[in-house]
Amino acid sequence: MKNTHLKRITTTLLCLLIGVGSGGAFAKTQVTVEKNPKSGMLSWTATDDGLSIQLVQLLPDFVRAVYAKHGLPAKQYNEIASYCDFGTILRNTSGKTLEYDVRDWRTVDSAGAHGRVKPKSQWAEEWRKAGIHFSWTLFPGSGTFYAGDWQQGFTTIKLPHGTSFDLILKWKIDGVMHTGRIHNMQCASDVTSTQ
Amino acid sequence: MKQTILILSSILLMLSCLGTAQAEQPLGHDLAPLPRPYPAPAFTLQDGDGNPISLADYKGKVILLNFWGTWCPPCRHEMPSMERLYKRQKNKGFVVLAVNQTETSEDVFIYTSQLSVTPTFKILYDKNSDVAAKYRVVGLPTTFLIDKKGKIRYRAVGGRDFDSPKVEQQISSLISEK
Repeated sequence: MKNTHLKRITTTLLCLLIGVGSGGAFAKTQVTVEKNPKSGMLSWTATDDGLSIQLVQLLPDFVRAVYAKHGLPAKQYNEIASYCDFGTILRNTSGKTLEYDVRDWRTVDSAGAHGRVKPKSQWAEEWRKAGIHFSWTLFPGSGTFYAGDWQQGFTTIKLPHGTSFDLILKWKIDGVMHTGRIHNMQCASDVTSTQ
Repeated sequence: MKQTILILSSILLMLSCLGTAQAEQPLGHDLAPLPRPYPAPAFTLQDGDGNPISLADYKGKVILLNFWGTWCPPCRHEMPSMERLYKRQKNKGFVVLAVNQTETSEDVFIYTSQLSVTPTFKILYDKNSDVAAKYRVVGLPTTFLIDKKGKIRYRAVGGRDFDSPKVEQQISSLISEK
C-alpha cells in the first residue's frame, strides 16, 4: 500500500517536473500517471483550471470485445480497435459552467506532427450509414457541463498502437478558454497481434 | 467459439483494466439548476410489458427522468439510490421514469435481478434513442428533474447519489410548489 502510494507521488512529481520543464502556458497542468498492477495498463489523470480528466489505456482486444458485444460487425469493431483508444472520464470541478469540444483538442507526436481526436459524431455518422445506431460507449464529442457534471466513454485517436504523444486540451469555464497539456501519453500496444 | 473466448477474456480484462478507473468513480451529490427552464419534450415509450407510457400521463407530478444503459458503470452505480429515493418520495407526487437505451427487456431483467435493490419505478425502452435525441442527451447517465408544470428545472450529466440530502431537498422543493 505504502509502495503504491509512494510510486504514485513519485510519478506525480516526475510529471510535474516534466510539465514545468516544458514551460509556457501548460506548466500548470498537474498529471498523475498510474499503472494498473494486474493489467499493466497506464492511466493519466490531469487536473487544471476547473477540469479533471482521466485517460486509461485500452487494449485493442478489449475495444473489439465491447463493440462485438453491442452487435457491431467485425469491419466496424476492427476499425475502431485500430485507433489509439482511451477510456476517458471528464469532470467539471469548477463550480461554474464548463464547455468542451474534442475537435479543439490536438495530439503532438515525437516528430511534432499534430493530430486530432475523432469525435463521436463522426463515428456515429459512419455507423449510421452501415445501419448501426449504437454509439453510447463513445465519449461525448462536445458538452456543456454544469457544476458537478461529469461523463465517461471511449476517446479515439488515429495513431499507431504503442505511439507516444502529448495531448493538448482546450475547454471553457464561463466562456473563458483554458488550455492544458498532458505529456508523454502512450497508446496501448496491440499485444495480441504480436502473439 | 474462438470469438466467444475472445469476448469473455477481453471482458475479464476490461474489468481489471477499468474496474478501478470507471466503476468506482464518485457520484455527484446534487442536480444543476437550469438557468432557463424549458418544457420537457413529449414522448410515448413502451414499458417492459409492452404498455405505452407517455410523459403526459404524469402531468402534475414531479418527474425524475433518467437515461441509462445496463453496460454503463455509473448508471449501475446510481440505480439503487434512485430506487431508495423513489420509495421515500413516491407517495408525495413524485415518479421516476428510467429510460433504457437500445436494450431489450430481457437484458434489463437479467441486470435488475442482480441488484441488491430491485427497481420498482417504471423502466421504459428507447430502442433507437429517439427520445434521448429529443432531450439532447450526449452521454449516459443523464437525469432531468421536471416540475409539476412540465418544465425541466434541473439536469445532471453523469452519475449521482440520490441518497444525498441536497438531491432530496431539490426534489422536495419542487413537490412543495403549487
